[in-house]
Amino acid sequence: MTVVDAVLTACPFCPCGCGLYLQCDDGKPSGVAPSRHHPISQSRLCARGWGAHEAPAWGERLTEPLVRRAGGLTPVSWGEALDAAVSGLNDVRATGKAVGVLGSARATNEENYLAARLARGGLGTGDLDSCLRGTYLPLARGISRGSGGRAPQGSLVEIEESEVVILFDGDLARSHPRAAFAVMQAVARGARLVTVSCLRTQLARLAATHVRVAPGGQQEVVAGLIASVVEAVAAESMTERRAPEPAAEMAEDVKEAGRWYAQAERASLLVAPEAAVGNSGEALGFALASLSQAAGHLGRAGSVVLPLPVRWNLRGACEMGVGPDVLPGLRPLDDQAALDRLARAWGRPPASPVGRDAAAMLGAVGGLLVVAEDPPSPLRHERAAREAMSQLDCLVVLDAFMTPTVRAAHVVLPIASHAECEGTCTSADGRVQRVRPCASPPGSARPGWLVLAELSARLDLPSQFGSAGEVLAEICHVIPAYQGLDHRALDHGWGAVVAPKSDARPVESFPQVAGAQRAAGDGSYLLTLDGVFDWGSDPLVALAPTLSRDFVSKRKLFAGGFLEMCSEDAEALGVRPGWPLRVKSRHGEATLPVMVRRELEPGLLLVPFAFREQAEGVLGGDDVVAVQATRPAG
Amino acid sequence: MEPVTAQVLAKDRVGEWIERLMAEAEVIAPVLAHGGDEVFAPIRSPGEVLWEFTNPVHPPKRFLLPQTDPVVAIRRGDNGYELEAIVDERRRVLLNVRSCDVAGLAFLQHVHAADLPDRSYLERAAATTIVCLSCPDPCPLGFCICSGAGPFAREGYDLQLSDIGDLLLAEIGSERGGELLAATDGFFRPATLAEMAQRQQLEEKAKQLLSEQTCHFASAMRRVSTGRVAEDLWRKMSDWCLECGACNFVCPTCFCFSVKDRHNGDGWLRCRTWDSCQYPAFTLEASGHNPREERRDRIKRRFFHKVSAQYYQRDGMVGCVGCGRCVEVCLGTTDMPAVVAAIRKGEWHG
Repeated sequence: MTVVDAVLTACPFCPCGCGLYLQCDDGKPSGVAPSRHHPISQSRLCARGWGAHEAPAWGERLTEPLVRRAGGLTPVSWGEALDAAVSGLNDVRATGKAVGVLGSARATNEENYLAARLARGGLGTGDLDSCLRGTYLPLARGISRGSGGRAPQGSLVEIEESEVVILFDGDLARSHPRAAFAVMQAVARGARLVTVSCLRTQLARLAATHVRVAPGGQQEVVAGLIASVVEAVAAESMTERRAPEPAAEMAEDVKEAGRWYAQAERASLLVAPEAAVGNSGEALGFALASLSQAAGHLGRAGSVVLPLPVRWNLRGACEMGVGPDVLPGLRPLDDQAALDRLARAWGRPPASPVGRDAAAMLGAVGGLLVVAEDPPSPLRHERAAREAMSQLDCLVVLDAFMTPTVRAAHVVLPIASHAECEGTCTSADGRVQRVRPCASPPGSARPGWLVLAELSARLDLPSQFGSAGEVLAEICHVIPAYQGLDHRALDHGWGAVVAPKSDARPVESFPQVAGAQRAAGDGSYLLTLDGVFDWGSDPLVALAPTLSRDFVSKRKLFAGGFLEMCSEDAEALGVRPGWPLRVKSRHGEATLPVMVRRELEPGLLLVPFAFREQAEGVLGGDDVVAVQATRPAG
Repeated sequence: MEPVTAQVLAKDRVGEWIERLMAEAEVIAPVLAHGGDEVFAPIRSPGEVLWEFTNPVHPPKRFLLPQTDPVVAIRRGDNGYELEAIVDERRRVLLNVRSCDVAGLAFLQHVHAADLPDRSYLERAAATTIVCLSCPDPCPLGFCICSGAGPFAREGYDLQLSDIGDLLLAEIGSERGGELLAATDGFFRPATLAEMAQRQQLEEKAKQLLSEQTCHFASAMRRVSTGRVAEDLWRKMSDWCLECGACNFVCPTCFCFSVKDRHNGDGWLRCRTWDSCQYPAFTLEASGHNPREERRDRIKRRFFHKVSAQYYQRDGMVGCVGCGRCVEVCLGTTDMPAVVAAIRKGEWHG
């Protein structure tokens, strides 16, 4: 018999897919313990994982439904709140304005699926998205298209067995520690690591070769790698055939890396979300799949092609159909078989127009339903998004935590946090795992799936779900890749892996990420954003006393933001840490204090994603801009 | 040390004995959790208790020093704030704790009793009975023999059980251990000389099995304590650490904490929460200055605390019981044996 005072659940932070035990004391999550036999985490957890109990216990929790009356949020009964939410959204629709739905990388598969179902089935809108989708799906989609649906492939554990690892690095040690550990293990076992980045990060310091690249230049490196692979493969098979023309001016480090990759039995391509900054994610993904194919690694057991979503269940959210241009299962909107399947399951045909993405929705829709997200925090233009949120006629928010979006809401529906809810999530490598509750939701908060089902029913969308398990049953019914999920593995094992289906029809591209403005040789520096996500704005970190310390202290010290540069550049400019620096681009100028970061390449200035607004005048909406940096007089 | 007194209990009566223990206290023992994970947890029946197991990755320290530990209740009263100490005097029996963890608990007892006695810890510890289960088959990652913490406990336990075939031999390590046996009339009988000899043989055999394991604390201590570890070595090592803090959290001897207030109804709970010296903000000062901003400085600090002569003299042992948990949990390669070897050799290979 099995008896524990703790519950095995999925770690709720990054998408590596670790498992952990949440402990509970006096009804509140109180601690974390690692799982020895979990196939991904294997006794290990990162700092965030060790703090998974904190936000639910220490954060400001929503405990009762609230409706905005006379300017203030007032507690009401669940019935009143649900009615207010539905009539509010219906009123907006009656005026001819659009209504949108935002799912979230912080929500379970069940919550995301029901959000997509509610949008396309209940509200009849294609305005459906999650704020972080653009950082992952284009890349994954490009890889899928370039590989005929055979990739993404491989797991983090397989990376450890690789002979060659090519890492398109953001700063994996910080963003995805378990993945960074896999890379470290591979190196410790003798693998050659190639890092491609504008930062000489911790992992870059362990690399056999570090390929310096300007932000946005990753795709050129991939092209170089492909050329080198082709050359290496040709040299190997060359007998009577003519030798290929040597690739012109290929950098020696790239050439060597390509050779290693081509010759390895098992090799990994690992892509951090930051790699897509300044690139077209989809084109980069396509090129990566081509690289894998050229070297013969595509579809080979033990070889890995893996893009890493930036936040927990981002892959799951996308696969549940939370996107303006996809149906559940990432099927295209004109996939008649998928539409028929959904219509049968939902009891009504899904609306299949292409909708707006999260950023475009704000400012265009009159009503918005938000599930477990503070949309302006992850969006590129935070201030504009915040402003647009405040202009909405009806904002309905489901969340476990108090966020700025909740404060702006017209209807607040309190839901269970990851520590109190049932459901599933999907990791970067496609492992679907159970999320299990270790405590009851505070106050009268309810499971998110239940609230979404009740909202759906009030919108006349048949939603007879008695449990999260019944929602999963419908997911497994309508999404082919989830059809074969082994429920025994979900319940008693460590989750079940959703394998890439080679018969999957690739989804056509929409909407495109605009190509970044590249430096034209006029500027002495390139200014770019550091990362695509700020953990400090995520409630699970921001509301956790131990995890938030670093972020909080930086924000307190530099409320106005800062720039980072390497020490050589700081010396050349005559600035010291904390001193102001004026940066000027074709868009405008700004003066910000400087911090010195060893890991940066010379000629590069970084703005932490958290402070993107403070540098917006200079960035002008671009990811990368050429700037002149000077020390202000006086 | 020769056992002073020992008694034996027939294995087929262990269940009855544990039921007796359960009637008096919360019994915490290694049990199976999800998918075969071994964990220490309060038991509901004697049948759950594991007798042959790999030591759980999460040590029993959390029952004396929880990750979140409310120590003071704060309320608004008529005359300002009212404070009330929260004391946990629940009676607990930690059953089948390995010798490494017994040594760890003895270390924590010493630390919390010294200088400014920590009442919260000490009262919990005073109500806790420690029943050790000796290790005839040392675990693959352990090196307890190098820090004198195993495979059989020498002190720090109330009872130490050894598996000698059909019988469990119980050595009495404290007055409380003696009372525990005295109260269970009829279950135990005094051990014979042959049974005592059997237990000695088990220990000798286990020590032989452990002789392959080496973690040379003495030579590392000489180097660390005399500043003979190159800064560059710490720098190289620090690239192989992902600062997860797991080494602190699962270490039976680590006890560093933060203090935070949590809203609780109309008042607050002041909580002691686990903290890690490997976290950048652990030493962050209010001014924004951080004396250990670089990871290499934090790693250096950790191992200085663990193996320097200064702390050895103060605490009576190195800050390591050789349980091998840091090897198992390290999200990197900077576990105790690896770092001790690097310090000793002056080289780091990752």
